[in-house]
Amino acid sequence: MRWLGNLIVSPFAFFGRGCESAAKHAGGIALLVGRTGKALATGQVSARAVLNQAYAVGVQSLPLVTVTATLSGIVTSQQSSYQFTGSIPLYIIGSVVTSSVILELAPVLTAIVLIGRVGARITAELGTMQVSEQIDALYALGRDPIPALAAPRIVAGIIAMPILVGYANGVGFLAGMIAARLTVGLGTEAFLYGARMFWHNWDMFYSLMKAVTFGFTVPVISVHMGLLTRGGAEGVGRSTTSSVVFMIIAVLVMDALFPPLLLN
Amino acid sequence: MATDALPTTPMIEYRDVHKTFDLPVLSGVDLTVADGETLAIVGPSGTGKSVLLKTTIGLIVPDRGDVIVDGQSVYGSGPSVLAEVRRKVGYVFQNAALFDSMTVHENLLQGLPDALQKSLGRKEALRRVCAALEGVNLEPGHVLNKFPGELSGGMRKRVGLARTIVGEPRIILYDEPVTGLDPVNSAAVERLIRRIRERMGVTSLVVTHDIEGALGYCDRIALLDRGKLAFVGTPAEFRRSHTPMVMAFADRTAAANFSVRMLDDESHGGPSESWQNGVENAPDA
Repeated sequence: MRWLGNLIVSPFAFFGRGCESAAKHAGGIALLVGRTGKALATGQVSARAVLNQAYAVGVQSLPLVTVTATLSGIVTSQQSSYQFTGSIPLYIIGSVVTSSVILELAPVLTAIVLIGRVGARITAELGTMQVSEQIDALYALGRDPIPALAAPRIVAGIIAMPILVGYANGVGFLAGMIAARLTVGLGTEAFLYGARMFWHNWDMFYSLMKAVTFGFTVPVISVHMGLLTRGGAEGVGRSTTSSVVFMIIAVLVMDALFPPLLLN
Repeated sequence: MATDALPTTPMIEYRDVHKTFDLPVLSGVDLTVADGETLAIVGPSGTGKSVLLKTTIGLIVPDRGDVIVDGQSVYGSGPSVLAEVRRKVGYVFQNAALFDSMTVHENLLQGLPDALQKSLGRKEALRRVCAALEGVNLEPGHVLNKFPGELSGGMRKRVGLARTIVGEPRIILYDEPVTGLDPVNSAAVERLIRRIRERMGVTSLVVTHDIEGALGYCDRIALLDRGKLAFVGTPAEFRRSHTPMVMAFADRTAAANFSVRMLDDESHGGPSESWQNGVENAPDA
């Protein structure tokens, strides 16, 4: 009968453990955000550290963002060309490319690039510092790792991400326009006519709002997971993997929440 | 170096310190370290020596009990007291814990509080950094602009020590300072511990596995076993002790015999009374 008891109890235990873990992460992230805000408000964060991180997050991500934005523009343009041939006016491609890139592809793909390039690095870096006692050393030296390590990374994400997304919007748009010209012979004038047809200024604001949100979420989760790391090299690997999964899910869930909140 | 004099003015007091992770690690440790004293803590691996050291400055928070540093309660007061305690205490980590992304110069500057750096100015701060490096027998010109990854294990330990002393602490906690070093480097680090104590008059607490080395420079030695103090006394008392555990630590042959007995006992359902109860000179007894 004991196995029957275990069978009945185990789903509840699993659910309970999941809730406990979620609550711990939520609490940890809330504390991290609060302490970061306090560090910023009290002027403990060095501008030089923020600039260094912004360079690593922004400038060093440009090549990969260029590639993803270019390809997303080309793919959207070509798929629209294929679907519209013979039935819908081709200049509508301009509208489809613009809306797809600005509203969805540029912010989300840039966030994915940020997760892979920056988020994973932050978790691994802070995780290694944690398991090699460098974080303890900071505390022992009377220094707080939040203003020294966490805050510059979070602020850099918030600053760099809208710039990267704005850049990706432009690159994706141009790539789509060039691809439409080369594949279906759609002229620049016609493409721009289509792009203007369904354009709302709000779309750009929406895109940049997504960028700021993702630019905040990715470093916050990666710093939180990095500081939670325990257990040597294996622990660093485990927390980096968990962090990447956590960041991807968080970005996609937030992406799904944006349209009902800001596009209605 | 070793003296039979009992501790006078207390600098660090551990009062009934308990800590449990998955299993109990510290089970009611009471220990007093006097001002200017050098106390070595020895014991088998995993018995809570480093955990005890970390409770001194709040790197690990005990489940119960308190630590009093220079008259200030670490856990009975607010964060400002903890910050003040951390300014008084220097901590030398087992693997030096140098910041990989910083040069030796930048690492050592972390040992000087920002406000002090500002008041000293760049030149004076650099002079102090160089003096600290010279104090641990390192040539500043050779190491100042190097990254920790470019240094040998012994040099990293010494830079870690320099980072601790540059802030001129009153207390230094050493977490296995000679672990992983060859005998020559171990002897050099032990000489430095002695010299720093003589020059700066600091109170030192040294967690180590190197009993012979520790007996040469410490005033008292404490043996921690399964979260409890099994012995506290002078090096002479340690050598004279008939407690099996102490004898095992004081003598390699006895250690070999003791480990065989211990394994034998464990394979027959747990440790025997003979070494469980062999506690003498227990503190506050």
